[in-house]
Parts: sequence; structure tokens; C-alpha cells
Amino acid sequence: MNLRRHLLEAATLVFLAILCALVANALASRERKLALVGSYPDALKVPGAEATAPAPLVAPVAAGSEAKNSSSSPADLLRRFPPHNKPYVEISGDDVAWLVAHGALVLDARRTNDYVAGHIAGARAFPVWESDIDARVTALVGEGRDGAMPVVLYCSGGDCEDSHMLAQKLYGAGFNNLLVYRDGWPDWVKRKGKSATGPET
Amino acid sequence: MTPKEALASPWLTVRVQIALGLLFVAAALPKLVDPPSFAHMIYNYRLVPGALVNLMALVMPWLELLAGLALILGIWTRASAGIVGALLLVFLAAISLNLARGNAIDCGCFDVASANRTVDERLSDMRLDVLRDLGMALMVAQILRTKGRGPAPSPA
Repeated sequence: MNLRRHLLEAATLVFLAILCALVANALASRERKLALVGSYPDALKVPGAEATAPAPLVAPVAAGSEAKNSSSSPADLLRRFPPHNKPYVEISGDDVAWLVAHGALVLDARRTNDYVAGHIAGARAFPVWESDIDARVTALVGEGRDGAMPVVLYCSGGDCEDSHMLAQKLYGAGFNNLLVYRDGWPDWVKRKGKSATGPET
Repeated sequence: MTPKEALASPWLTVRVQIALGLLFVAAALPKLVDPPSFAHMIYNYRLVPGALVNLMALVMPWLELLAGLALILGIWTRASAGIVGALLLVFLAAISLNLARGNAIDCGCFDVASANRTVDERLSDMRLDVLRDLGMALMVAQILRTKGRGPAPSPA
């Protein structure tokens, strides 16, 4: 029976494809590798269905205490951005500029090659689509940071949601003051914020 | 030769096979080079459970490549045309479903770079993608109807 032979051939092709995929992934460089089992909690949630991202946080700006680059202390950061205990809150470029100037932790969720090409000065690479993201999150948790301190996350703005995805990973790991830079890297470039190039040091 | 005979001619089948094979090889290459970007594309379809997204992003391009090469070389033609047909049905279903629910996404068919396009541009591209996949499905039908019935044709 011919059908049986064709099915066998098709099954062989599928098997070969799986074999090639596993070997290629094992040999791939860090930026090209994928964890075999993905962890994307929102993989079946259609965006726009309940398109209401948490309302942008309007930071209470204490007038007067905003002297440029006043010696920043954790208390300053917490006063303006207290922990909100949501997976994330979206913030504007102005807020990000203030947070960066006051030494908040900034994480770049874009791909490694985007990070190398240019990132917010002081930002750390957390490429959410690359295979070692969970190891990076674990390492960050291992640094024993205070989960109440603000953490800025960004990707390329627009409909990019990599930073939201990263926020969910960190929220699950005990960070509860995650601030997503809504307009992301293009906005930072436009406002000529301080940036750097090259791999993470 | 009637039009019906012309459509079923082995001469045409060989051309269709090679063209379809080349299309699938061309579609596979960018995905093979950058699996994380393709995983992102699959994720955007919001149809695949999170745990399976990466596995699909790794295996599907290889399946496209191997089936495409087999079509070009004329090896296991019926089986590889069947695989290509099955893949096309999956693509058609995935794009149509997202069109129906208004989820504007990048196709991720022939390239995996997420272009900065508007929702309307994406939706109209998705409609074209459906038409293109239907065209390729017709190519598969041509191959399956004429090829592999009975013993392989011996080189005369």
C-alpha cells in the first residue's frame, strides 16, 4: 500500500527535522539559542481584548526637592516611586530620565544585538527572548536586592511588550516596584538621553 | 491537449514542485538563522501554549527546509508535498483566526524582523498572506493529484 510508504516517509522527514533542530540549537550561540520549554504565561492571551494596561503612574512630584542631581538616595527613589505591588506600571520618558539620574536599576529587555548597538547608560542586558533569561533573573535575585526599590524596564516602545514580559518574570521573583518605560528606546534616543554602546561589562 | 490534461501534466508538476520547494527553502532560512525572533512571531499569534512556543520555533523551519529540499530534488515527493500542505493549512488557520479576531501581527512567514507597521498595514498584509498561502495550497494540490499514483514514473 502506497499510503503507508508515504506516511512513513513523512514521519521520517518530521523526525529528521526534530533531530536537526535539537542539534542546531545545542550548537547555537547564546543569542541564537532557545530554551526547549518556553515559559510565556500570556501566550494565549490576545492583546487588545482587555487592552487596559495598568494606568500610567503619575508620580507625586515634591516641588522643591527636585534640584537637579541632588545627591540621590534610595529614600528619594522610594518617595517618588513607592512600591505598587502590580506586575508593572507604565511610566513616561520624563520619569525614566529622573530615575536614571537618581541611580535606579535599569534593565534592557531587547535582543543582545540591539543592546550592543545602543542602550540607556547603565542599563543591564536582560534579553527576554534568549535562552539564558531565567538564569539572568535568578542571578539578579541572588544579588539580594530590595524588591521594593524601583526597577525600570524597557524595550523598543510601540507595541513591543518584551519589557512587560520581563516584568512578569521579575514580579514572580519578588520584585514589586517594576516600572515599564512605555515609549522605550526610540523615545530615549529622541530625547537624547545618556546612552552607551557595546556589550555589557 | 485539453486544459485539464495540461494542468495535470508531469511537465507542469516538476516546475510546480521546484517552485514550491524554493519558496519553502526561502521561508526557512531566516527562521533558522534567528530562532528567538521566530519564537516571538509564533508567540504573537497567541495560539500556541507557552511551553510549546520554543519547540515549534526550532522544529518548524527545519521541516520547511527538508520538505522544500525534497520537493526540489524530487525525493519523497508525495510525502513532502503532504507535509508542505499540512503546514500551509496550519498557516492559513493561524492567520485567518487572528484576522477574524482583529489581532494585527507580523506574518513571520518569509522574514522574522518585526517591522514598525500600523495595525491597518498589518491587517491588509495578513489578507494578502492568506491569498498567497491559498495559491501555494493549489500548488500542493497539483502535485498530489499527479504525483505518486502507483509506481514512480521510470525515466523513459
